[in-house]
Amino acid sequence: MTDDILQLEAVSMTWESADAAGRTVLDGVDLALARGEAVALVGRSGSGKSTLLHVAAGIAVPTGGRVRLAGHDLTGSDEEARTHLRRAHIGLVFQFFHLLSHLSVRENVAVPGWIAGDDRRRTRERADQLLDRVGLLDRGDDPVGRLSGGEMQRVALCRALLRGPALVLADEPTGSLDDRTGREVMDLLLSLTREEGGALLYVTHSRELAARADRMWRLVDGRLQAGDAA
Amino acid sequence: MIGYLRRGLTQHLRQSRTLVALTVLGVALGVASVVAIQTLNQGSLRAFDGSVRAVSGQADLTITGVLPFLSETLLPTVLADREVESAWPLIRANVAVTGRPDLNLEVVGFDVFAPVRYPLQDAAARQSDPNRLLTEALARPGWVAVTPELAAAEGWAVGDTIAVSSGSRAVTLEVGALVDFRRFEPLAPRRLAVMDIAQAQEMFGRPGRIQQIDVVLREGADPAAAALRLQEALGPGARVQTPEQRRQDASGLLAAFRLNLTALSLISVFVGVFLVLTTVQASLVRRRREFGVLRALGATRAQVLGLVLGESAALGVLGVAAGIPLGWFVARGNLQSVSATLTSIYVAEGIDRLTLPPSVIALGVAVGLLGAIGGALLPAWDLARRDPLRLLSPLALHETAGRHAGRLALGAGLLAALGSLWFFTLGRELRLGGFVYGFVMMLSLPPLVPLVVRTVCRRAHPSRFGLALSLRNLLARLQTTSFAVAALAITVSMMFGITILVGSFRQTLVTWLDVTIQADIYLSSESWQRTGNDAFLDRDLLDRLAAWPGVISLEEQRRLRVTTTDGRPVWLNGLRMTDRPLPGVPRADLATRLPLLAGEPRAAVAGLREGGVLIGEPLSRKAGLTVGDTLRLAGPEGPVALPVKGVTYDYTSEGGTAFVTMDVLTARFDAAPPNNAALFLSPGVDVDTTVEALRREFADRPLVIRSNRTLRGEVLAIFDQTFAVTRTLQGMALLIAALGVSVTLLIQAHERAGELALLRALGATRRQIFGLFLGEGAAMGALGLLLGLGGGVGLAALLILFINRTWFGWTIRPAWPGGDLALQAVVVMAAAALAALYPASRARLARPGQLTRDDL
Repeated sequence: MTDDILQLEAVSMTWESADAAGRTVLDGVDLALARGEAVALVGRSGSGKSTLLHVAAGIAVPTGGRVRLAGHDLTGSDEEARTHLRRAHIGLVFQFFHLLSHLSVRENVAVPGWIAGDDRRRTRERADQLLDRVGLLDRGDDPVGRLSGGEMQRVALCRALLRGPALVLADEPTGSLDDRTGREVMDLLLSLTREEGGALLYVTHSRELAARADRMWRLVDGRLQAGDAA
Repeated sequence: MIGYLRRGLTQHLRQSRTLVALTVLGVALGVASVVAIQTLNQGSLRAFDGSVRAVSGQADLTITGVLPFLSETLLPTVLADREVESAWPLIRANVAVTGRPDLNLEVVGFDVFAPVRYPLQDAAARQSDPNRLLTEALARPGWVAVTPELAAAEGWAVGDTIAVSSGSRAVTLEVGALVDFRRFEPLAPRRLAVMDIAQAQEMFGRPGRIQQIDVVLREGADPAAAALRLQEALGPGARVQTPEQRRQDASGLLAAFRLNLTALSLISVFVGVFLVLTTVQASLVRRRREFGVLRALGATRAQVLGLVLGESAALGVLGVAAGIPLGWFVARGNLQSVSATLTSIYVAEGIDRLTLPPSVIALGVAVGLLGAIGGALLPAWDLARRDPLRLLSPLALHETAGRHAGRLALGAGLLAALGSLWFFTLGRELRLGGFVYGFVMMLSLPPLVPLVVRTVCRRAHPSRFGLALSLRNLLARLQTTSFAVAALAITVSMMFGITILVGSFRQTLVTWLDVTIQADIYLSSESWQRTGNDAFLDRDLLDRLAAWPGVISLEEQRRLRVTTTDGRPVWLNGLRMTDRPLPGVPRADLATRLPLLAGEPRAAVAGLREGGVLIGEPLSRKAGLTVGDTLRLAGPEGPVALPVKGVTYDYTSEGGTAFVTMDVLTARFDAAPPNNAALFLSPGVDVDTTVEALRREFADRPLVIRSNRTLRGEVLAIFDQTFAVTRTLQGMALLIAALGVSVTLLIQAHERAGELALLRALGATRRQIFGLFLGEGAAMGALGLLLGLGGGVGLAALLILFINRTWFGWTIRPAWPGGDLALQAVVVMAAAALAALYPASRARLARPGQLTRDDL
């Protein structure tokens, strides 16, 4: 039994295209992410960073190789099983927050608990606990439309952490925020993930933010290179 | 711009096939409702018209009696008129075909040598020996010509015999010829049977009595002046009319029936308009940038408006193309029940053939196109009035309902208040006032919907992935949701309103039957239901019945079609009733089973005995008569004035009913045997055994012998049949409303692709997304039910208390048919959930990988 929460072995991803060759986005990627570890993923636009996160989350199925999440083979699982694995082990943070505008702040945080059918009272208490942690408890009943960008991303962090995932995948979590707010959000993301004992894999274009990870990986033309250690 | 319209339309059709198909289906159903009802309405008029024209198609004037017969001695007076070219008598009888309760023949007896080209002469003229046919018609007993269509349907051939009856008289006819009367008169009824007048008189008529005289005037004569002169010469017992006046009589008789069905069919159109509105709005929101570019490139507001309305009109054309044939099939499907209703309640002529007149096609086209354009008008105008910059911005166009919900509700309240004010001060006096008020109230329902939906959905606090979340999702798309909910609410209002009316009416009828139907056994003839006037029971039969073991009282009733002196048709009933208590038989005495609206039972019966009249409630309301007034009827010798001694609840006819003693009827109107009889049995005598014994005894007579229980069941069966077409209309409206739910959720499945992808990314399974959409469909159904319940109760009150009283004149005691309403609520919820199935199956296909940066 390995202590790695995520393992990718020779993972390839080729998008079908008009020409017979197709477009290879990931090319034989091997990686292992230990529990509690924070890793930054950097690379140019179009280098395959988001695709790698999608593959890790079971959202996309690689055309080659194997992905293991918490000891389960994602690539050998059907769509339903991948959904359940994602629900159980992964928290997602997006660059554009992706909050549901018709729900309140607290309700947005609680959505993963509703989906999983968790105990209602405990979900609410957990949402409040996280909102308190990011300083938004008093905004719990507000519509998310009234929040600033930084506040929205903090709500998205709470949502990702609601069910205590073993792995948080964050796709440019500060990409839509100004530098200062971005730093604050990154602080929260790192500290909260560590407090919760989860691993973190985040995509960023910022060398400064990447440097705050335990390790850094660089994707170049679909191939993974070890970056600078933090 | 036409070229762009064509290209845009083609692309729209290709991209949104399902949406377009559902919308076209909705328009088609609306058109079909109107086409079906108008086809049936026209059919009912043409059925009457067909009989009139088939018999007196070439006549300039038709003379009938104020009673349903004339003395044949009037013929010389008619022929003596200086402007009468020719005139000939007719016998008309509606006879029952023995052993076929659903088949009757409309027998016309005429002079085969009449100086007019009748179908029979026409048929004879085409034979090698023209005289043979006419000679046989005269010489062979029971010779009758029937239509080839009927003969084919019944398997009759020339030479076959047909056992028929009129009243308790059973006779045998012989098929002498197959004559296609429709070659002569396209509207001729299929069941028309023509025979020699002398034979018809002997078999079905009464000595010296005819039903009609047809008159052809000399060329250049003025029919109106001739009619007046003939009326003067013939006296008060005759009515001289042009065929057009006769058709108008039938039209007046059927007015209430036709108007009610028309109003119901328009509800479907109204609901269909909402469907178009929803689709067009969704399409415009999706294509707003396209229109922004067009405006930026110089297209005027009018051009954009025209473009959108043009596209919608194209949907209307498709809807019309599908709706007219659909309406035709719906009309055909309901032909039998509507025909049965007409013959049970209104006129002798049932509909046996439908045509799709050009006027109905034109109406269907107009309804489809105007509905489609009308539905598009609001969103099209909203789009056209915006400047190009606004259209090119990513801001959504359509979610204004949330902001305006309060104001819209206020507007709805204002509209309802103004409508109520108008109705209760002025409108209720107008004949169409109730319909106008109902329409205004229905109009005020949709603007109320956004506020109700918002209020309810805001109260939903989701704490799991379930219905509360579905409700909150509806709130996020309030405007689109509101249209679908409004369409459902209107449909449910209509369904519940009609159901409460029908349930109340049925309950009222049951109570009325409990009071009035007290005898143990009822007897009539097979032809009684159709013929009424002339379906007599022989005296010897009545004597034998009176002497039957166990019978302690025999009641007799004669029904005669008469008119008031101002031309209002009235069924006059002559009664020979039990007017004393019978030992051991409760409620045998007439006074104990008179459900009086005005008057006192004992005084009313005493007044009846002294030559007075009891009138039914519809006649009382429509003629403005009550106790103490005088009913003036047209009698054979002139007006007959009868003092009104009581007003009785009566549900046998909406036209008017009056009751006198048999002696008064005989002395002042017509002496003839009764049409039906009722038997009271001694206590302890078994009813069913007696019925069986009577049936065995009179097996060779064309009698219908029923127990009290059977008669009640038959009355209620006729009642239920009357509303069969209403149920079809309810179903069609519900189908359109359900399509609205489908369209709305399909649009949402498309517009909320990002949200669904996010939920999938967060771990929601396909099954959960499917359930979420089903929940939204069910939530729309529940909201529609909530609003529709209020609307339905209001509509029922309007129908029961005002429209019914104005048009039919009946008192209906409001009742709450809880079981029926609960069943309909289940049907509505099931329809909404079913309507959500397809959109839900589309939504469940959302993939988490579809989440893009532009989403949410």
